[in-house]
Amino acid sequence: MKKIAAMIMLALLAWAGPGGAQEIKIGLMCPLTGDWAQEGRDMQRFLEMQVEDLNAAGGIKGIPVRLIVADDGGNPRSANLAAQRLVESQVAAVVGTYGSAVTEASQGIYDEAKVVQIANGSTAIRLTEKHFTGFFRTCTRDDFQGRAVARAVTRLGFRKVALVHDNSSYAKGLAVEVEPLLQAAGVEIVYYDALTPGERDYSTIITKMKTLSPEAVVFTGYYPEAGMILRQMQEMGWKVPIIGGDATNNLTIVEIAGREAAAGYYFISPPGPQDLSGEEAKAFMAEYEAKYGQMPGSIFAVLAGDAFKALVKAITEAGSDYEAISSYLHNDLKNFDGFTGPIAFDAKGDRVGDLFRLYRIDGEGKFVLQP
Amino acid sequence: MIVAERLSWVLKLRRGHKLNMEVFFQQFSNGLAIGGIYALIALGYTMVYGVLRLINFAHGDLFTSGAFLGYTFLVSLALGQSAGTVGAILLVVLLVMGVAAFLGYVLERCAYRPLRRSNRLNAVVSAIGASIVIQNSIMLIYGPQVLVFPAGMKPNVIVEIFGLNFPLMRFFLFGASVMLMLGLYFFINRTRLGTAIRAVAIDQDASRLMGIDVSQIISLMFMIGAALGGAAGVMVGVYYGQITFTMGWIYGLKAFTAAIMGGIGNIPGAMLGGMLLGMVESMAAAYISAGWKDAITFLVLIVILICRPTGLLGERVAEKI
Amino acid sequence: MIKALPPALVAFLLLLPPLVCSNYWLDVLNAIGVSAILAFSLNLIVGQAGMFHMGHAAFCAVGAYTTAIMNTALGTPVLWTMPLAGMAAGFFALLVARPIIHLRGDYLLLVTIGIVEIVRIALTQDIFGLTGGANGIAGIDRPYIFGFRIYKPSHFYWLIWGMAGVTIVLFSYLERSRFGRALNYIREDNLAADGIGINSAAYKLGAFVLGAFWAGMVGTILVSKMTFVSPAFFTFWESVVLFVIVILGGAGNLKGVLLGAFLVTGLPEAFRDFEGMRMFCYGAAVILLMIFRPGGLLPSRPGDYNVAEFMKKLAGPAPNPRSGEDKRP
Repeated sequence: MKKIAAMIMLALLAWAGPGGAQEIKIGLMCPLTGDWAQEGRDMQRFLEMQVEDLNAAGGIKGIPVRLIVADDGGNPRSANLAAQRLVESQVAAVVGTYGSAVTEASQGIYDEAKVVQIANGSTAIRLTEKHFTGFFRTCTRDDFQGRAVARAVTRLGFRKVALVHDNSSYAKGLAVEVEPLLQAAGVEIVYYDALTPGERDYSTIITKMKTLSPEAVVFTGYYPEAGMILRQMQEMGWKVPIIGGDATNNLTIVEIAGREAAAGYYFISPPGPQDLSGEEAKAFMAEYEAKYGQMPGSIFAVLAGDAFKALVKAITEAGSDYEAISSYLHNDLKNFDGFTGPIAFDAKGDRVGDLFRLYRIDGEGKFVLQP
Repeated sequence: MIVAERLSWVLKLRRGHKLNMEVFFQQFSNGLAIGGIYALIALGYTMVYGVLRLINFAHGDLFTSGAFLGYTFLVSLALGQSAGTVGAILLVVLLVMGVAAFLGYVLERCAYRPLRRSNRLNAVVSAIGASIVIQNSIMLIYGPQVLVFPAGMKPNVIVEIFGLNFPLMRFFLFGASVMLMLGLYFFINRTRLGTAIRAVAIDQDASRLMGIDVSQIISLMFMIGAALGGAAGVMVGVYYGQITFTMGWIYGLKAFTAAIMGGIGNIPGAMLGGMLLGMVESMAAAYISAGWKDAITFLVLIVILICRPTGLLGERVAEKI
Repeated sequence: MIKALPPALVAFLLLLPPLVCSNYWLDVLNAIGVSAILAFSLNLIVGQAGMFHMGHAAFCAVGAYTTAIMNTALGTPVLWTMPLAGMAAGFFALLVARPIIHLRGDYLLLVTIGIVEIVRIALTQDIFGLTGGANGIAGIDRPYIFGFRIYKPSHFYWLIWGMAGVTIVLFSYLERSRFGRALNYIREDNLAADGIGINSAAYKLGAFVLGAFWAGMVGTILVSKMTFVSPAFFTFWESVVLFVIVILGGAGNLKGVLLGAFLVTGLPEAFRDFEGMRMFCYGAAVILLMIFRPGGLLPSRPGDYNVAEFMKKLAGPAPNPRSGEDKRP
């Protein structure tokens, strides 16, 4: 039986042979299955549309681009294989992925294979502290966002807050950054704990927070939980402002919470898919909405789009080998017009510039940019 | 002067004390609300287990499919438009229970019946496979995004009792759970079919000799279990408003915990286990730590099982494998 | 001679991949190898002793974090921490399994699930300030063997499949040993095993500790391959997958478990081209395999003991049958 298994394996090996000749391959590593499948699907749709548009316009210097998608399942061990798979497909560069631990599991592989990787949703600080020359990201780091959140809390004048995360590496990472900043700013943190994502009933935590009477709640997790908290706070007749991070920048939050409960919710985020400013971005988003009947769920698909755009620019200007792309992205890409604003990377591969804006949801359920 | 200070201090303490009791009752009711749902899902587990000795890992995903079916019925069939929302919801719950029962039947036919004669763990693995299949089918059909039940589906009335706020829906939900549980309890204990079910649970071969169609009873149990899971799915969907294709996993695990806590295979045990689980979760989150809540719950479970190895209401029987 | 052929062929085939396979397929084989070793150790508990244990990832986690903490905080070389990781996991298993060992079937199943969850939550909550919380611990060294740095997939292939080979040899001896036979008695009939004087609680505990010890050592390999560790590695789902491997392959049969590892870990890779459909096909395959092979792919058979030979041995020292071959010129 083992023989047969080995033969099957060899057959599969032969079957996964090299592809066509004259094309530039760009890999997309994203979660198409598992808990984050929505993000992965949006990323794939976004990039597929971009590739279509690009190829319709003649590709990169006349050479068509092919997108190769690998499912990382939102899990580090699966990501390891997805990364090897993309490397084997001889991609020029890779966009993705979403979760930090998942990205971390793939970083070493891309570095050893000399493939440029631009992550779009992985915010853990240490990813860019490893000095991989070919690693970039279009999202910002937890500490940048932490500062933005702390700034918003102090600017809105809250002196006493509850800080809630959901134990995911993203939410907890952000909470860990926010906590000392708030304390340094003299804001009292009366409650600091985690909820369990995926549950529906957060009334226990809300009741608990209510007894501690904070002036505001800072929630660093994702939008489904934020929506539930808003809704259940209203049901319990307790109204204090909530401030969230960029993972709550999602139109569904209004639907989940209900318009009335969502009103007054603050969040910190790069500009969302619905209010991108550039003309090109607007046209693209309209095209996207027409094609799929809805906007991308969150900002991260757009950030994947930014990553793709930056890659195309770099390959056009500098060619498709590792050194050329990474040195171009590090040194020569300045003020490049992305979907979410100007793109440039620093020496570590982090995105330069302060993307974060403060938004507030108004009574109509619209996301309003705060001055 | 000093007396006045003392008095105000005592008063403060009193007020604080009263406040704490209020909070305690609020948390108690939160725990009951969560526990009611766990109990309802746990019932399905327990029913199937009672007859087949099979841990139906796909039960959580039947629950999810119930939620999605409910969404389809409410949104596409425009049942929500008709004035009586409560009536519409009841109708949808019944519809979903029917379809979920059918799903349960198909599941039993395809994935479990061929394995009935083999080792129990093999059926468990088949159930895990079924769980993956159902979960991913839902993802492929409805897409991976969060779906939100239409707003205004549920009456947003808040009831005030003794100065505490409770959403009215919570009472409905709790009432519906209890009604379903009681109905089931009487069905099993008071009807002819229920007697047959109990007979099959005790000894399949002897029941066959007594003229009971064992296969039919097992199918029936699966259908009831799936229907209960589906009903719980719709209720959770309507009450909490948002559903995702992965939601069944966490609820399934909680319900399994509840069923085991009460003594698996035992209907009052599932109810008790569910309520207790909700209560432990709520109290742990309120008075110890929300982040450690699930760990504490499992610790409580382990302690219970160390003291009572077959759960709170489980019978002490030797197991035959 | 003929009996020795298939294992030799298999061993030969296992030598091939590093020469012909790309890194992707090598890493698929590595993932299969890691699952296989973990499944072997789980098989001792589930297949041999017949205990329902769905929490094996917890033991792997204890080992992995032991290595990660020792390597990053104390600078201990990775492979040196391997026995310690095993011991930590074994000790942990002793601690948690002692009070629950008497639980029957499904109750034990849930308790072991609970242990995985407790471990995962404790790791996420940064217990004792050691585990780095949800982000885990990064910057773990690569292993060195006599100064040779192991970092390429092909290097890990040798390390992992070398360990798998050692595991197979050791565990098949174990299967035949007094210990393994005692576990089988317990699996078949706990009460009867007690009746013939087997201290079933001690043996079960022994199986747990040994299985955990091995899983802890795999934890070392896992983190050294990934160079970081986070609670995301050790979810309940990972335990379920291991459980599926053991049962699907044929509980109690090492060859079956190996085949199970190939299928369960390999199939999602084979289904990669289906993209979103991938896990759907995977689940369907699991059901179909189970239905068509209800006893597992290679069901475990009762051991065949040559009674006649045994009686002869009892009767007195038999003439050495090999003595003829030993004549040398």
